[in-house]
Amino acid sequence: MKRSKRFISEVLSTLKDNIQRTGDPFGIKSVYWTGWTKGLDLPRSGETILLTARMYQMLPYITNITGLVASARPFISRRGLATIVNVGNRIMGDKILKVKSLGSKNIRSKGKKVLTGMVNALSAIGQRPAYLYEDEPYTGVLLYDLGLDEYIEDHVKKVYSLLKNHNVKKVIGVDPHTVFMLKKIYPKYITNYDIEVKHYLEILSENKDALRKACRKSLDKEFVIHDSCYMTRELGIIEQVRRISASLDITIMEPENNKLDTACCGGPIEYAFRDLTEKVSKTRVQELSSISKNIIVECPICLINLRKYEKEMGIKVWDMGELLFEALVYDNKKFNNSYKS
Amino acid sequence: MDIKESQSLRDTLLKEIAKCRACRFCIDVCPAYQASEWVENMSPYGRLQILKYLINGTLEEDDPLIYSLYSCLQCGRCDRLCKAKGQNLEVANLIRLGKYLLSQGLVKGKKSEKV
Repeated sequence: MKRSKRFISEVLSTLKDNIQRTGDPFGIKSVYWTGWTKGLDLPRSGETILLTARMYQMLPYITNITGLVASARPFISRRGLATIVNVGNRIMGDKILKVKSLGSKNIRSKGKKVLTGMVNALSAIGQRPAYLYEDEPYTGVLLYDLGLDEYIEDHVKKVYSLLKNHNVKKVIGVDPHTVFMLKKIYPKYITNYDIEVKHYLEILSENKDALRKACRKSLDKEFVIHDSCYMTRELGIIEQVRRISASLDITIMEPENNKLDTACCGGPIEYAFRDLTEKVSKTRVQELSSISKNIIVECPICLINLRKYEKEMGIKVWDMGELLFEALVYDNKKFNNSYKS
Repeated sequence: MDIKESQSLRDTLLKEIAKCRACRFCIDVCPAYQASEWVENMSPYGRLQILKYLINGTLEEDDPLIYSLYSCLQCGRCDRLCKAKGQNLEVANLIRLGKYLLSQGLVKGKKSEKV
């Protein structure tokens, strides 16, 4: 709580600055979000695109940046030192983050697996969306969450014109924050907004029979579900994930706080208040793990926050995309080893 | 945000916050409140009161108040409770708009204006 005002001021200014400079919340100029596509041969253009908005690819950076911010907080909160940290961020932040994220191999490969699972599942039902590779934008959801509305419009217009330049008519989003921004916030800033936006789980759910037929194995295990706040309360995507799970023969167990009454994972404030985030996420993990040690999530922020407790509490957090990967790309032994019985 | 827009936002916020009937049902479901040893400042109701007093000038921005407002998770659980209790305030969005108002003074390199 000490020096929160100065600290928040620094965080807001840095975020705004990063997005204005590079279009990326971390201010990273080099392309870090395309590596997962290797071997998938996704088309580069098309009216329907898969938009990851870099969210799953950011996970190694989020892990490191929250640690860096927490340790640099005493400096960031002081006037003179904050300037030094800021200048350092502009010059070296990019490189430091890249080097530090090299150590986060697990989360990087998990993110890759999640996205590959989604692409495989969409292919299985006959959908072959394009991917914008280097041109893929970040939606600016952090600007919205932190009330930086004044800077959203510029960013939204840039992203929209980029999508239009690529002749995009339909976007398939992979995470609830991106879908929320594109579906609910962008139309407020763009007159005659004409891009159709859907979450991939909505599309899979509409084709659940085709998905079932394409599955190379039945997962036939029990999982407890952690619904994402944005997914349920903002987007109303609740039953879709349950229907898809049924197609994979997964038994979903419901916690007390579920569906529209789901409890937050604590992720949205991790950028600044790590202690509070940890208390919130731990409470949620305790509730979920009392039902099953295997937790399903459908959002990258929830994934990164809940999986922190994998070792401590003997749990395993699975993203829905990862389970699709397991069902569609056959490797029974690995799955059985990872599942916490 | 120009002065006219800022004034209109303040008016909207005060008008909306005035609709709160202080039933405090939103408090118990807030994860940040639960994690903060039941400090009311860390609850949706508490945050709305902080916003109200910042806007009408009774309080001045300081560290604890900024901490309270920026520790809102924007999870919207309070909205659901408010709706269930018949008032239907968009509490999380009001707090977010409060942050928008505050950001005028917090983002560096901008002409700052006290809330």
